[in-house]
Amino acid sequence: MKKIFYILSILFFAQHSIAQVNTNLVLSPNPPASLIQWSVSRETLTFIVFPSAQGIRGEYKIKTEIKLSDGTVIGKTDLNKSKTYTLSSATTIFNAADVVPLESMIFTGKYKNSLEKTGKLPADNYEICVQLVRPPDFAPFSEIKCKSFYLAATQLPILMKPYNEEVLDYDIAKTTIIFRWTPVVPTPKALVTYKILVFEVLENQNPVQAVRSNFPILTEEVRGVTQYIWQPRGIVDLSDNNANDSAMQQRKGWDGTIKGGSKKYVWIIQSFDYLGQPLGDGNINADGVSEPVAFFVRQKVKAIKIKDTDKQ
Amino acid sequence: MKQPIICLFLLTSLGLSAQDKKPKVSVSGNMGVTYEGYGLNRNPTGWTGYSQRKPWNQVRFTFQPTITTPKFSLPFNFNFNTTPTNFIGPYAGIGKQSFGQYITNPSNNFAVNPKYKWAELQLGTQYLNYSNLSTGDVGVFGAGFDLRPDVWRLKFFTGVSQQGVNFFSGGANGSYKRKNWMAQLGMEKEDSYALLFNFAKGKDDKNSIPLPPPGSVLPQEGFTMSVVGKVNIKGGWYFSTEGAQSVYTKDLFLPTSPTAVAMKPFLDGNTSTVKDFAAEGMIGRKSKNFDMGVKVKYIGAGFQTVGYPFMQPDRMDYLLNTRFNAFKNKTNVTASIGQRVNNVSNTALKAKQFIGNLNWFSQINDNWSVNINYNNFGFQSNSGINPFGIKNVSNDFGIAPTYTWSNTKMVHLLSLSYNYSKYDERDVITGLTTSNNTHTALLTYVPSFLTKDLTPDFSVMYFINKLPGFKTTLATLSTGLALPAMKKKLQLRGQLQYTFSKNNTFTANNNFIASCTIDAKLNKKTTWTNFLSTNYFKHGNELGLPFVGANYLESNFRTGLMYRFGK
Repeated sequence: MKKIFYILSILFFAQHSIAQVNTNLVLSPNPPASLIQWSVSRETLTFIVFPSAQGIRGEYKIKTEIKLSDGTVIGKTDLNKSKTYTLSSATTIFNAADVVPLESMIFTGKYKNSLEKTGKLPADNYEICVQLVRPPDFAPFSEIKCKSFYLAATQLPILMKPYNEEVLDYDIAKTTIIFRWTPVVPTPKALVTYKILVFEVLENQNPVQAVRSNFPILTEEVRGVTQYIWQPRGIVDLSDNNANDSAMQQRKGWDGTIKGGSKKYVWIIQSFDYLGQPLGDGNINADGVSEPVAFFVRQKVKAIKIKDTDKQ
Repeated sequence: MKQPIICLFLLTSLGLSAQDKKPKVSVSGNMGVTYEGYGLNRNPTGWTGYSQRKPWNQVRFTFQPTITTPKFSLPFNFNFNTTPTNFIGPYAGIGKQSFGQYITNPSNNFAVNPKYKWAELQLGTQYLNYSNLSTGDVGVFGAGFDLRPDVWRLKFFTGVSQQGVNFFSGGANGSYKRKNWMAQLGMEKEDSYALLFNFAKGKDDKNSIPLPPPGSVLPQEGFTMSVVGKVNIKGGWYFSTEGAQSVYTKDLFLPTSPTAVAMKPFLDGNTSTVKDFAAEGMIGRKSKNFDMGVKVKYIGAGFQTVGYPFMQPDRMDYLLNTRFNAFKNKTNVTASIGQRVNNVSNTALKAKQFIGNLNWFSQINDNWSVNINYNNFGFQSNSGINPFGIKNVSNDFGIAPTYTWSNTKMVHLLSLSYNYSKYDERDVITGLTTSNNTHTALLTYVPSFLTKDLTPDFSVMYFINKLPGFKTTLATLSTGLALPAMKKKLQLRGQLQYTFSKNNTFTANNNFIASCTIDAKLNKKTTWTNFLSTNYFKHGNELGLPFVGANYLESNFRTGLMYRFGK
């Protein structure tokens, strides 16, 4: 009797091990921090289920666990809610929408709060483990496939110089204007391309309107550096009547006064990765554009007042 | 297009007749048309090292009369152009526009705001700023009202902020049609107190375009509500604060979920919905010769509002501002110091930014004045996966003494300005810091004739920028002259500028710019303005073969007629 039991047991385990399905998990080493972006950028995660050589058929679910580097599980699939698939005779390819289905994932504690507030997990090293299981008892149907990854949301540059509402001296700005910004954080492995754009804010426009509607007077791309020295070469000019106050009127106006004049500009930085794709997950415009900053160019030195006694 | 022109003539005649006999109806404001032409010639053929900086042709119309009666006012604000020039945003690269796209294109404004006592009707394109955290940066074409009976405030506006734009390769980025509404209610007494509740919502119509734009342009929905409190009390003390809560769905294609965050009845959530808050507060004291204030702003990592689409989330700013006048107002000082912390939520690497600015102006005596400024920005972040963290420090120092003297015929102004700028960047792999140093010196002389109408000016600038392995030197000579002609009916101004620039040991680049402005007063109300500029730049040998000596000629011509309503 014992022998029969051993033989049956061996046969059962052999059958079970043979019955396992081969899978493969491919994950980008630096996936977007926003989990919703995993589904949008389909190349982020690929999970391949190969057809069974033994011709096994049946239903299965995808069981996913996201762990910290110490093994603590912080999120897992709710198998009672997750979708059921049927094993096909052809190779099946899944992406993040199927493997990390946010509508049927359960996250714990602060990770749940972070996702609800930001759509992102805290910056850290994680591991994702994926396995096929058979309903209704969720018995393993494939080996567990795990991949480690590092998550840190991309912070777009902050524009430092000229700072917001800074007034630049026209006599210097017409020859050079220095632009400085903070780099993309964290620093990607490949050099970031920064596109610097400057727009003139026309009369009756607000700065964001100018960004969204005007032709840029400067479009320049630089790679890996966070400073650009612009030589405007005539494009920053207070001589024309588009100046907030006509330079004619400022310098020797109809009323004889001499004042300083100014024009308003707005600048932005657009950040791109090495493939030319805009950076910054969570950026609602999806264009990698940092918060615009406005500055003025003003004829400071001309702000002299002629004393009445001098006029006479 | 015909209707605005008919209105324009009706108003012109109304404006003209309105001035004859001290009427109860008056018209003020202006209207005009401007043509701008741009030209660019590059040599040798095939060299594309310099890009177009303006549209080739553009015509802009302005129509801004305000009809006023003792109780009623009707301001028009029409600003529109013939050629779309969108570069960033949903309309970028758009060619031919539909009527809906034309009127909602951010480059065009069509607004009429009839006002009767405390009631204002808002029609057309409106850039409404309700508060710093709810809505303020987005133009919406639609209809609404702004009611201000006594201290009460009731505002509502609804419309379309962008039309659906089809994506096509090499052209428009594509976008979904977005409908917005916003509302405000509360109490406000100017310069005394305010308690205002704001609501702002935007939702994309996911079926508004036949084919969704590729990439990560997704239909979105956002709702934000905020409360603003302001108090000004005796002694110049002021206090203002705003707290806001946003709910934002990043992908409306996902099905709504009962377990997702939401804010019913305004927004049903799905798995892409996030909910976060933001707050700002300011306290300070203002007086004639002394101001001081502290401002704190927190934007949560998930705080997003359709009213400020470029707002950077996940940060905390502290800023202390001060301004004071001393020595009988002969010294003015403005200064600010603060810090910005990015990634308060810990979803990214923490980064800190130090901000410090100082501007000091002193009128030493009748002849001498001096201006000193200092700016410092520092940025630091953790290393993450790199051996070293980011550390960038920018320091700028400038001093500008000015000497003026005069006699019975002239006032002379001589100003020297020197700026030193240092920018240090640490390499995150090697840890080495590179310094980028810039020196700028500018000498300006402005003689003003008291007995003649000539106004010349002269300036010389020297600029040098050095970083390891690279050096740029620039020298600029500039002069201008303004003078009236034809019994002051004509105002002329010309400017010449020559710049010599040199990079490392390459041969020098040369740049020559000339511009002139001619303004003519055709009559008391009509001005004809003209502007012409040309910019010739010739490279040395820095571009290498076959572009040694490459050059371009850029020209810009603008002419416009402006008519002023009223007296």
